[in-house]
Amino acid sequence: MSSDKKHPKESDIIKLLEGDSSRRSFIKNLSIAAAAGSAALTTGCIPSLAEASTEEMKLRWQEFFKKHYRLMTQEEKDAAVGRLERLAKLENNLDLQMGSEPPIDGVLYGYGFNITRCTGFMECVTACIKENNLDRKVHTQYIRIFEMEPGKLDPSTGDGQYYHEVPVDNKFYMGTQCFHCENAPCTKACPTKATWKEPDGIVVVDYDWCIGCRYCQAACPYYGRRFNWGKPEIPKDEINTKQHYLGNRIRPMGKMEKCTFCIQRTRKGRLPACVEACPTGARVFGNLLDPDSEIRYVLKHKKVFRMKEELETDPKFWYFID
Amino acid sequence: MNRRVGLCFLLLLSACIYGSFAMAARKSFMDEVRESEAPFDNRTVPLEKQVIEETVVTMSPNNDEFFRVLARKKQIGRYKCSSCHTDKPVKARQGLELTHSDVVLQHGLGGRALVCIDCHHREERDYLEDKKGRKIDFDHSYQLCGQCHFRQKRDWLAGAHGKRVANWAGERVVYNCATCHNPHSPRFEKRFPATYSVPLD
Ligand code: SF4
Ligand code: SF4
Repeated sequence: MSSDKKHPKESDIIKLLEGDSSRRSFIKNLSIAAAAGSAALTTGCIPSLAEASTEEMKLRWQEFFKKHYRLMTQEEKDAAVGRLERLAKLENNLDLQMGSEPPIDGVLYGYGFNITRCTGFMECVTACIKENNLDRKVHTQYIRIFEMEPGKLDPSTGDGQYYHEVPVDNKFYMGTQCFHCENAPCTKACPTKATWKEPDGIVVVDYDWCIGCRYCQAACPYYGRRFNWGKPEIPKDEINTKQHYLGNRIRPMGKMEKCTFCIQRTRKGRLPACVEACPTGARVFGNLLDPDSEIRYVLKHKKVFRMKEELETDPKFWYFID
Repeated sequence: MNRRVGLCFLLLLSACIYGSFAMAARKSFMDEVRESEAPFDNRTVPLEKQVIEETVVTMSPNNDEFFRVLARKKQIGRYKCSSCHTDKPVKARQGLELTHSDVVLQHGLGGRALVCIDCHHREERDYLEDKKGRKIDFDHSYQLCGQCHFRQKRDWLAGAHGKRVANWAGERVVYNCATCHNPHSPRFEKRFPATYSVPLD
């Protein structure tokens, strides 16, 4: 891409300003031009007005000026996911199915992790990478598995980088990921309100409103968040095309991302990819508000604990023992 | 003097009582979860992915609720067993294949190691047999496993052992014992992990 494609030309801005003589639209256009100018400096991807005549540029223009997800009506959400699908087709010839499914009434997701059963095979980790379109180059992983000494219950004392035959006798394995805290400190730290807790308990990020300041990452006591230092690289034939606006759509560089309990699956009744992949059944997922759900059985009948309970973050992720 | 001490004590006591009431009034998130008793019908959630594997309704209900379990018989390579195990003598042309030499039996410890007929029916080879002599269908092998592994069975019925197939919602479909465990050597074999992890940034 040549440099004048990236930046709005001065003449375009003048044309824009001279285009209409009413005061109101003058100010409106001025602010758009200013935004486009500064945006071009920071992101380098805002098209000029002349180029906006092509479909792709028009879509990118509209994408750039769309609202915060939480302020969108359902029609606006539908339009936004439609634009993202079309852009993926135009830019990379990808046929995406982008969703904006809302939370299901009466559902609050909860997760159980059986530390007696986990054997450290890390099938969950690979399934998560594929499902959520994680960057293959720097090896981003939402889930980490720690090999632990008996009696220790804090993953920071365990080995998170083992690579040998597992399970090792007299060790146990403990997985971590975003715990979707009910009282999530990460969401309070965000200056742009780009991350929040949905009514079904899933803590999400609006990747287009995230400015990449990483305050949330510093606020999370569980190392639940991952930052895109570079442009994510995924082989084209491995891209998961079933996506959700708040979930596994491919994040641009400089954005925060994290486990979303596979929002693109769970809001359609499916299990998260990690639960489905686990060969030992160490992972339990379900609706906390359903008294007959598996996760409620675990909470009622098993010895459960949560990590750093004293912080009162109320994670919706419980470890349990058989 | 005495009166003053008494007054102080009374004040302290009432403060304590008030304090404990205030504590009780602040309901924790866990209490809220434990107290939510409104029934939720999983089948109202529209499912993206249907379970395509063959299933059967279990014979053991969980809290009077019947659910489904993955069928087994079609997964067993040489079922029906009675196609070989007949009254006629076996002509062992494919001897190695027919003698089940691929089966490694590592089930039960030491003196309690199991042999074939501990689980397989003595006469009717298309069935399993439990310790009470009941005939058990291969699709319902959990009935057999559960006679020794009763704790696991109790957890499996309610969902703390084993796992659901594909969906958290919809009709409950779970893996059968033998879907995950090789019944002849049920312990998971040691192996290398599927991937490795690099340090967090
Ligand atoms: S685990 Fe961390 S990222 Fe996840 S909700 Fe809690 S504080 Fe936020
Ligand atoms: S990195 Fe993004 S989501 Fe996190 S606090 Fe900053 S703007 Fe908010």
